[in-house]
Amino acid sequence: MLKLNRKLLATASVAAAIALLAVGCGGETGTAGSTQINGKATIDGGTTYPVVNDKTGPYYVNPQVAADASKINNGRVPTANELAAWDKDIMPDGTGLPEGSGSVEEGEEIYDAKCVMCHGDFGSGGGGYPALSKGNAYDLQKTLTNNRVNDPDADGPTRVFGSYWPQVSTLYWYIKDGMPHPFSKSLSADEVYALTAYVLNINEFEIDGVEVDDEYVLDREKLLKVKMPNVDGFEPNIDGPNALDRVRAYYANATNFGAQNLKQGAERCMSNCQEASVKVIHINGGIRGFLPPMSDVRDLPATQEVKIDVKEAYKNTCAMCHDSYLAPGSAEWKPFLAEGMDVVYKKAIHGTEGGMPAKGGTDLSDSNFKTVVDYITSGKVK
Amino acid sequence: MNNQKDLNRRDFFRKTAAMSVTAIAGTSLVSSNAKADDPAIMHHPAWGQKWGDPVTKNRYGVPSKYEHNVLRRNTKLLASGNFRASIAVAPIQESMGIITPNGLFFSRSHGGVAHVDPKEYRLMIHGLVEKPIVLTLEQLKRYPSVTRTHFIECPANGGQEWRGPQFNSIQFAKGFMSCAEWTGVYLKTILEDLGLKPEAQWMLAEGSDNSEMGRSIPVEKVLDDAMIVWGQNGEALRPEQGYPVRILLPGWEGNLCVKWLKRLEFSAEPWYAKEETSKYTALKPSGKAVQHFYANEVNSTVTSPSPEIDWKDLKDGDIVEIEGLAWSGMGTITAVDFSLDGGKNYVEAKLKGLVLPKSWTRWSYLHTYKKGDTLLLTSRAIDDAGYIQPTIDQETTIMGVESVYHRNAVETWEVTATGEVNHVQMRTPGGIKNA
Repeated sequence: MLKLNRKLLATASVAAAIALLAVGCGGETGTAGSTQINGKATIDGGTTYPVVNDKTGPYYVNPQVAADASKINNGRVPTANELAAWDKDIMPDGTGLPEGSGSVEEGEEIYDAKCVMCHGDFGSGGGGYPALSKGNAYDLQKTLTNNRVNDPDADGPTRVFGSYWPQVSTLYWYIKDGMPHPFSKSLSADEVYALTAYVLNINEFEIDGVEVDDEYVLDREKLLKVKMPNVDGFEPNIDGPNALDRVRAYYANATNFGAQNLKQGAERCMSNCQEASVKVIHINGGIRGFLPPMSDVRDLPATQEVKIDVKEAYKNTCAMCHDSYLAPGSAEWKPFLAEGMDVVYKKAIHGTEGGMPAKGGTDLSDSNFKTVVDYITSGKVK
Repeated sequence: MNNQKDLNRRDFFRKTAAMSVTAIAGTSLVSSNAKADDPAIMHHPAWGQKWGDPVTKNRYGVPSKYEHNVLRRNTKLLASGNFRASIAVAPIQESMGIITPNGLFFSRSHGGVAHVDPKEYRLMIHGLVEKPIVLTLEQLKRYPSVTRTHFIECPANGGQEWRGPQFNSIQFAKGFMSCAEWTGVYLKTILEDLGLKPEAQWMLAEGSDNSEMGRSIPVEKVLDDAMIVWGQNGEALRPEQGYPVRILLPGWEGNLCVKWLKRLEFSAEPWYAKEETSKYTALKPSGKAVQHFYANEVNSTVTSPSPEIDWKDLKDGDIVEIEGLAWSGMGTITAVDFSLDGGKNYVEAKLKGLVLPKSWTRWSYLHTYKKGDTLLLTSRAIDDAGYIQPTIDQETTIMGVESVYHRNAVETWEVTATGEVNHVQMRTPGGIKNA
């Protein structure tokens, strides 16, 4: 039915398409399908839930919204300065890339002052921060086929900026917006050119046949000439006017991305499903060091005594009764104090038949509550 | 109706009688009828003999202090930058139903959790639209809202275990995800007013945080179910989830659901942002990597038992519920298969509760426990787009073991003879050689 719908949709209007979906599938899941409102298959290979009879999937929607949304006129048009202030992204074609220049030498100085503590000497990484280089980018790009599915003991692929990233504009953009990590957006355009030049240098890049050596000076024009070794290393192709149809075609085929789909020949095996080669593999070492340590115990947490404001505690909890009877420091305390402070504390903590609730109804610790008792009996905060 | 009630009553009396007989016969029921009285019953507990807290306490409620071990957790191996570019994972071993409490929702950021002043909050939408706009938070929230329940999952959930099991913990093996009820506005509702130009293929979503996290999103998703959200489980988003505003792309990589959202720009070409090139790309054995890997595929796990909450206290013959979660970013869960032998043989488990698109879905299977049995608990989910979870061998044959992201092969817990629960994997040692 869904396949049939897709064929029909190619020629049907959007309204007719929705009607078809409603009639075609019907029932509880009547709005589920793999065809979008534009008549094409979903971009991710998944299900979509067009609004039919004021419902999308199990959810009701208010049909007035779709009818009137174009007349909602919230917000305002930004000024040219506001747009310029925020529209700072940098694209592979150079959109947003500022003029400026910086040398490898200057870059190394900035790197040693602001970057080395996290990214390590010559971008070697460490402390959980990513490496910026592992050597010659052109050589390391060839390691991307070293998949350990073929040889578990082999060296795996090396994915760093030089060997893996498809576009150099990403590097400039990310340094400008996100670095240095604790003080982002603090570098000038020239400083970012210098750092970019340094990262190209430690990855042993060539630009237009020229080695990015220690004397190299990078600028906008040169940066746009950088050809990344792994520029063709990604799928699906997302460039150009028909990108979305290419993405759609890619995800229409489950084998492209490691999925199994029953509508594309996968099997829902219920018995005798396993090859003899399959074994139970236990954790070998594994990753531990959970913070805080794993526990499902229901007990009281370890508490730390916190000093309280005694007068504030008295005012909030005790005053409504004690202001008029046994007030702080009052002579009325005399006979009670004669029994000894231990007895007074005990009565205060556990309550009395005379009407004193345990700890006055507070959840203060014993030692904290005793400081309140001290105040009420003496009129002084110790 | 009455008849049914009578039947139920009769059934109850019949069962009670049977139980009494068994009790007299001296089976295990007698031992649970032991003479020693339970002090928890025989004494007034302290909390029942004094005032409780006044209603004026905890104006914003907090969990019972006894629940202090139910926490998001970290490990240094999944962190850089002093836990600023890092992840805190959700304790899904303790999760109930399909909603994650806001304080336990997994938290991932690339430059730390930003604290945005809502008075200074602005959202700019521009690029290939007829009319660019800037909105304050109040203006944004004036759009007609929708509320939807969706999971958000980091595509690196389980990503440390392509080459073998690593975490003897469901919190770390599967807790890079959570599920909540989100409130916001469909982006397509706002675009009705703005007018999208026909050449627009992509939208950049950019955050205002330290890392200015940005991702390229195809307009297809924007015009389908993408939401700009400010509400999470009935209250404002938590700072960890992007307060005051994030974008939500139901079912797609958590990383695409940009937090602390500041700017949406439409363009004919994609941006190649850092987190869609250097990371969040899946390297295959061919040496090519999948980029723009949007939807989290169909997946499932057994949540009870788990390595954290074992079966050591079960007695022989106990009837116990094996419970789990299933989810798919590509649709709605239609079935979950369950295996006691690591995926050799399956039976269909039962779905329970609400079954919603691109949401956590609960499944259940009642099992009679036999003391001393060794079990291999495996679940396998199917969604309404036809996707079924692959075996580990099936997935690694196509994707290899280097992709980090989007690992959705079936997962197995081993129950040992003593009731311990361990994370294991069912796979061909050394892997399937790639053609």
